[in-house]
Amino acid sequence: MTDAIIQTENLFKTYGSGAAETHALRGATLAIPRGAFCAIIGPSGHGKSTLMHLIGGLDRPTSGSVRIDGAEIGGLSSSRLARLRAEKIGFVFQFFNLLGNLTAEENVAAAMMFAGVPDKAQKERARQLLELVGLGHKLDSRPKELSGGQQQRVAIARALANDPDILLMDEPTGNLDSEAEAEVLAAIRDLHRQGKTVIIVTHNPEIARQAELVIEIRDGRVARAGHAASALERIAA
Amino acid sequence: MNIGNLVVRNITRRRGRLVFTLLGITIGIASFVTFLALGGSLKDEIRREASALGANLVVTPKGSCAYEQVSVLTGDQLPATITMAEVGRIKAIGGLTAVPVVTEKTAIKNRPVPVAGVLTAEMRAFKGWEVGSGAYFAGADEEAVVAGASVAEQFGLKVGDELTIRGMRLPVKGVLKETGSKDDSTLFIPLAVAQELFKAGDKVSFVAVRVADVSRTDEYVTKIKEEVNAGVVTDRQMLKSVLGIVGTVNVTLQLIAAVAVLAAAFGIVNTMLTAAYERRREIGILQAIGARQRDIFTVFLLESGCYGFMGGVLGVIGGLLVSTFAAPLVSQNAFTSFVKGSGSGTLDPKLIGGSILFSVAVALIAGLYPAWRAARLTPVEAINHD
Repeated sequence: MTDAIIQTENLFKTYGSGAAETHALRGATLAIPRGAFCAIIGPSGHGKSTLMHLIGGLDRPTSGSVRIDGAEIGGLSSSRLARLRAEKIGFVFQFFNLLGNLTAEENVAAAMMFAGVPDKAQKERARQLLELVGLGHKLDSRPKELSGGQQQRVAIARALANDPDILLMDEPTGNLDSEAEAEVLAAIRDLHRQGKTVIIVTHNPEIARQAELVIEIRDGRVARAGHAASALERIAA
Repeated sequence: MNIGNLVVRNITRRRGRLVFTLLGITIGIASFVTFLALGGSLKDEIRREASALGANLVVTPKGSCAYEQVSVLTGDQLPATITMAEVGRIKAIGGLTAVPVVTEKTAIKNRPVPVAGVLTAEMRAFKGWEVGSGAYFAGADEEAVVAGASVAEQFGLKVGDELTIRGMRLPVKGVLKETGSKDDSTLFIPLAVAQELFKAGDKVSFVAVRVADVSRTDEYVTKIKEEVNAGVVTDRQMLKSVLGIVGTVNVTLQLIAAVAVLAAAFGIVNTMLTAAYERRREIGILQAIGARQRDIFTVFLLESGCYGFMGGVLGVIGGLLVSTFAAPLVSQNAFTSFVKGSGSGTLDPKLIGGSILFSVAVALIAGLYPAWRAARLTPVEAINHD
C-alpha cells in the first residue's frame, strides 16, 4: 500500500513479566491508507485498544514498528511523541474524557494550548469547531451540564482542534443511547468526507458496516483486513 | 486557555481541600511572621532603650551576668549591692557624671510595675526629663511619686492620686512627658525613700555613668574598677550582650515557626500527591491532547507555588494582626515588656516580601516530588486509571 498514513509491522506488546506476563499484541502488521474510514473490531481483550494506543503514540511497543506518515515513532522521545499527538492525531474516547473543571470551549482550547496556538486564535477556533458539531450554544457549559452525546461531540471538536490528519476513536458510541449515537456517527461521517483518516475501535456492527476498511484483531494479531462487507460476513459466519 | 488558567481552575475546584491546605501554610507563615515582627521590634526597642539610657558606662553588682544587665534596660529588679560610698568614689574620679539607681517592682491592680529610686535633681538633669502634668519632686527625700507617661495612661493615674508602695501611701506628684523609653512605664521615687521602703540600706542597684570624653571610655572603666568592687560594662558591650540574648530567643522562636512551616509543607506534599493520584485520568487526557511531561510537571508545580503564594500573603496578614494583638499580652512579661508601644505589628517591606517568597519557595520544594510523580505517568497508565 503506497499511500499508507499508518503502518505497523510485527507489533508486539507484552505487559508484566514472569508468571504475570500478558501478550496483548503478538505480531500485528497492518497498513491504513490516508483518508480511510477504518474500523478495528474483535473480541474484548484481544488487543484492539492496545493497538490504538500504540498507533496513537500513547504507549510504546515491546517490539516491532509503528510508522506515521512514513516516519518511525518508536524511537521518539516522550516530548516528540507529545508533539506528534498534539499536531497529527486527535483522540476520542468511550467515556468522553473531558476535563470536568473546564467549559466546552475551554476543553477544546486546551488541546490547542499544548500546540502553542495563541489564546485568541484558540478561542475563535474552539467556537468554530463547537458550531461545527452543533454545540455553538453550549460554549460555556461544563461537561456535567451536557448529555452524553453532547459531551462526545465536544470530545470530537477537541480532537479536531489542531486539524490533525488522523482521528483515533475508542468506542466513541459505546456509552451513548441510539439517538446520541446517530448524532455522533453523523459527525464522524462528515469528518471522513472532509478527508480525515478515521480509525474507530468498536464492537458496534453498524459503525463497522459504514467503514471502508475493517481490521479484525484476534489473539493480538490481525486476523483479517478487508472491505467492510466481506469482513462482517466472515464475522457473522 | 493557558497553563495559568488551568492551574487556577485546578486549585479552586476542590474548595475544602484548598481551604485546609491554605490554612496549614497560612498558620506556618503567620507564626513565622509573628515571631519575626515581635523579635524585630524587641531588638529595635532595646537599641532605643540603650540610647535613652544616656549612659556610656553602667556599674552593676559584681558578677552580674548578661541577663541581669538586661534589667538595667528593662527596669526589672536588680539586687542593691553597690554602696553610696562606692558611688561617691566613682563621682570623685572626675570627668564623669554618675547617677545611682535602685530598681524594684511594685504592683498596681495586680499588674507588676517597675519602680526606680533616683537622686531626683541629678537624674532629671541626667535624663533631661520634662514634666507633662503636676510637678517634679521638690526635694531629694520627698515622699511622692512621679510617674512615666505610659504607666500613668495605662492605670489612669492623675496628679493627687495615691499609690501604695510597700505599704506606704504616696501621692502622685507629677507625670513626665513621654520619652519613648522604658522610663515611660516606670514609677519614680526619691532614692532615699526607695532605700527605706525596699530595705536597701545605703545601697543601690546600678550606677549609670556618662563620661565627658567618650574616646577615653575604656580608661574610665579601668579607673572605676580600681575604685569599686563592681562590674563595669560599656553601653556597647551591654547592648551587644542583650542583643545576643534576644537573638538567641528569636532564633529559637523562629525555629519553632520553621517547624510549623515544615508541617505545612508536608500538608502541601500530601495535597498534591492526592491530587496527582486522583487526577491520573486527567493527566492521561492532557497527555493525549499533546501535553508533554514537562507541561504536567509545570502545572503541578505551579499549583503548589500558588498554595505557597496565597498562604504566604494570608500568613503575613495574619502574622501582623496576631503580633499587633499579642504585643499587649507580651508586654505583661517583664522581659518582653519592651514590646509595648514599640511599634510591633509592623514589619519591614523587605521582610514581608521575603516571607511571601519563603512561603512560595517552601511550597515549590514541597511540590517537586508530587509534580515529578504526576509527570512520570505514561499516558496509557494515566488514561486507563478508573
